[in-house]
Amino acid sequence: MNLLTLLIFTPVLFGLVILLLPSSLRASFKYITLFATLLQLCFSIYIYLHFQTGAAHAGISNEGQYQFMQKLPWISLDLGTVGKMQIEYFVGIDGISVTLLVMAALVMVVAAIASWEITSNLKGFFALFLLLDMAVMGVFCALDFFLFYTFYELMLLPLYFLIGMWGGARREYAAIKFFLYTLFGSVFMLLVMVGLYLSVKDPVTGSHTFNMIHMMNPANYIDGSVFSVLNHATILGMPARTVGFVILFIAFAIKVPVVPLHTWLPDAHVEAPTPVSIILAGVLLKIGGYGIIRICMGIFPEVALSGAFWLGLLGVISILYGAFNALAQRDLKRMIAYSSVSHMGFVLLGIASNTAEGISGAVLQMVSHGFLSTMLFFLVGVIYGRVHDRDIYNFRGLGTLMPRYTVYVMVAFFASLGLPGFSAFVAEAFTLAGAFKSHSVNGLLPYWMAICGTVGILLSAAYFLWTLQRMFFGTISLKGGEIWKTALTDLNLRETVTLLPLALIALALGIMPALVLGKINDSVLALVAFTQNALGK
Amino acid sequence: MKDLLPYITGQINDVISSIGLFMPEVYLTVLFIIVLVTDLLFGKKSAKLCRIVASAGILLVIFKDLQQVALTGAYALPIFNGMLVLHRTAIAFKFIVDILAFALLLYFAWDKKLQEHKKGLSDLYSIVIGSVLGLHLMTMAINLLSVYLAIEFVSIASYLLASYRTENAKTTEAGLKYVLFGAAASAVMLYGISLIYAYSGSLDVYSKEMAAGLMQTNTFSVSFALSLVFIGIGFKLSFVPVHFYVPDVYEGAATPVTAYLSTLPKIAAFALVVNFVAPFVAQQGFYTNWKGFDFRLTLSAIGILTMVVGNFAAVLQNNVKRMLAYSGIAHTGFALMALVTFTPQGLTALTYYLLMYGLANIAALALANYFENNESITNMSDYKGLGFKYPLASVCFVVVLISLTGIPVSAGFTGKVFVFSAVYGVYQQTHNVWLLALLITGAVTTVVGLFYYLKVPLNLFLKRSEFTPNEISYSTNLVVFSSVIALLLIIFGILPDLLIKFL
Repeated sequence: MNLLTLLIFTPVLFGLVILLLPSSLRASFKYITLFATLLQLCFSIYIYLHFQTGAAHAGISNEGQYQFMQKLPWISLDLGTVGKMQIEYFVGIDGISVTLLVMAALVMVVAAIASWEITSNLKGFFALFLLLDMAVMGVFCALDFFLFYTFYELMLLPLYFLIGMWGGARREYAAIKFFLYTLFGSVFMLLVMVGLYLSVKDPVTGSHTFNMIHMMNPANYIDGSVFSVLNHATILGMPARTVGFVILFIAFAIKVPVVPLHTWLPDAHVEAPTPVSIILAGVLLKIGGYGIIRICMGIFPEVALSGAFWLGLLGVISILYGAFNALAQRDLKRMIAYSSVSHMGFVLLGIASNTAEGISGAVLQMVSHGFLSTMLFFLVGVIYGRVHDRDIYNFRGLGTLMPRYTVYVMVAFFASLGLPGFSAFVAEAFTLAGAFKSHSVNGLLPYWMAICGTVGILLSAAYFLWTLQRMFFGTISLKGGEIWKTALTDLNLRETVTLLPLALIALALGIMPALVLGKINDSVLALVAFTQNALGK
Repeated sequence: MKDLLPYITGQINDVISSIGLFMPEVYLTVLFIIVLVTDLLFGKKSAKLCRIVASAGILLVIFKDLQQVALTGAYALPIFNGMLVLHRTAIAFKFIVDILAFALLLYFAWDKKLQEHKKGLSDLYSIVIGSVLGLHLMTMAINLLSVYLAIEFVSIASYLLASYRTENAKTTEAGLKYVLFGAAASAVMLYGISLIYAYSGSLDVYSKEMAAGLMQTNTFSVSFALSLVFIGIGFKLSFVPVHFYVPDVYEGAATPVTAYLSTLPKIAAFALVVNFVAPFVAQQGFYTNWKGFDFRLTLSAIGILTMVVGNFAAVLQNNVKRMLAYSGIAHTGFALMALVTFTPQGLTALTYYLLMYGLANIAALALANYFENNESITNMSDYKGLGFKYPLASVCFVVVLISLTGIPVSAGFTGKVFVFSAVYGVYQQTHNVWLLALLITGAVTTVVGLFYYLKVPLNLFLKRSEFTPNEISYSTNLVVFSSVIALLLIIFGILPDLLIKFL
């Protein structure tokens, strides 16, 4: 049995078990889910430990260099004169995906623990949770575009129900907005995907293939096909490959989210229950970044490079716009949601620089933000679970009331704002270094972008510290008075056990970024070389 | 008369040899008579028996359909002096029609209102079997005469079905509306046919005489005549602009009848269009350089219009049946997209898509029917919170609607991918802007589609309301029925290979 396949489908098996169990056993569902996610975490750690590094295992555009691969024929359809359609169940990982996989598995465990707060319709909740888990893992592992798309879309429906059924007051609006936004991006992605597979032929079998790695090699494109590199075909008067890149980029940019396509995010975050917020921020946003690296850069490298300035610009706008918005929020969860927009902007900036530093920084930022945003949303969930309020101005002096809680908040805040010693610092420093270097190495990004990025860090310090000051310092003064005071107990054991590993990981990644960088380095170098080559042609 | 004598032997021989290729239809004819006789012999209590006979008979017919695959191979065989033609696509369509007819025969009796019909359902079964015979003819007709006869055959059966149960003024109005518009549409079509006959002196679409006649005639006149014929066919396909009767009739008719009307005649009409258009668009044929009537352009424009109108109108609906009526119109538009490729691959995509649409639509209406039976509600806004009262039915509803939207993992999605790739393949060769426009419209309207399909799960699960804990739940049959279909839709979504080789 292939490990990745196990990793992907373990949750859904447990999901089936939950569906089949009678509702009288509903108290056990959370333990089953937790067990499933822990099992998955074990698999992913095993994969991480056995992941080979070295230039011979870089992956990216070399199929042979991917690891833990499994390839099975899935759908094949005779297309008559056009050839044959070949869809495979094809999974495998390289340096870009392996660390994200571990991060996602850990976030899922935390989300499962955070699900303790859910009290209604447990069967539905945990079944959907595990379905979502499967889809997320599948996206990071899939190397066949059709398979990727299937998993990608499969995430939408569980999320719609998770937000819509267990969410807050405006949950219906938030759920449908999220669904429509994402689907809008992905139906066009479907068109590009179909176009790509009709343009590409498997060099061995000679049939049309959805294999992403074949799509990365210009030699596999059929002469005269729409997306052929040499053909310079146009769609409605625009270069076809540019159109393809832009459509895919928009689909992923909605997920990241990149300003101005971010408006679903604050709504979805605010309305979603804590575990779903954690998954959204921790994992789903990374799928956007991952998609841009794997698919947009992989399949359309020359367009990505020529449009790098615009990618960088969007990244910078996201950093600044997200930060300014975060400053203006009263709702703690909304503030953190906007901080996510800001932090994910660094990912885009790093990718746009197309330097080894920048892309390493981008991947590291995704991993680090995965852990930190999980921590932040879990912390918000703690306070919201106790008093059902999270308006920043309704709390004051929490530091004396909940000292241990405050310690974790401070760790999370300081780590997020880029304090040296924590993961976000290394990640942001790398992306900015990449952005600075880009001007002299490949001339893609001007210096001012890196400078604006630095301003973003400053702003993030402002909103985090200001929030800390408003909510946690000073004398105790709560909107709910004595009732709140008794309700706001300090962290219990379950919460501590969840938060402590996250805090330690944030610290560990800050002190030893090699834990991530060591695994991704070869793939990043291969990616940079690959894109440079594409431009040379 | 004397001049014809030498031909008679040949013609009779042809008819006799054709019968061998006509077995499913012969079986259907016999089945029709048996059901009718059963009804007469056993009187009012015969409904159950008729249903068993009819369903078993249809299974036999399906078996006969499959036997024909080996008979024809890759060739198209003209039968009855070129009145009908038997080929792979026709067999695939017949197969789809029979499968869906079988599902419908099971389903009719589960509607509470039809069940309470004082005349019983025996007649209904014989009408359905009769109409299936007509549908079979539609899938094979290539002579304008047989085209017209087949359409009328189905129309008359549909009129009867549509007003089978009339309980109030509204349903009567719907039935009457259907008959009147149907009669008008067929008159228009007949006019078109007579014009074509006048231009060419032939009724056989595949004949050289017709090609010669049409190519000599003024382009405008030919286009006019063909448009009239398309209006007649379009009435069955329910594309825009001849769709206006659809919502009222679908809403007024009994729900299982709506399921019938929204699937079977539409699917057979697609087969008819395929046959009708084939000679005009063939790569090599009589019409190779004929520029008289651009079928691709016309059908693409209609397809785009139908998708847009159908989807946007569906957004505004509150009644489930009306919503599904408009969504059915939208699906016609999408299926037209597969049709305009005019390639074998496009036809495979079309048949697959139509079968999946048919299954999903029948299941969706069956579930609407379930809620109608149990709670006497037909508006989506009344579904509030019922997802917790009827969990299985509601989950099935979600699966079915997801398939209709075309989101993975569901058969609707694979169907959509097949259609998109068929169209894209042709676009890549021809760079026809209309095909690109179709692709983009298809993608955009999918998002619109999601918006109204999601209204059902939205009300079922997301909105909360107090409901009285269950008294008695009726119609478990319907839930089982739709669960099976929902399961099939997921299975075919994951493994379309199981099915696609038959189409």
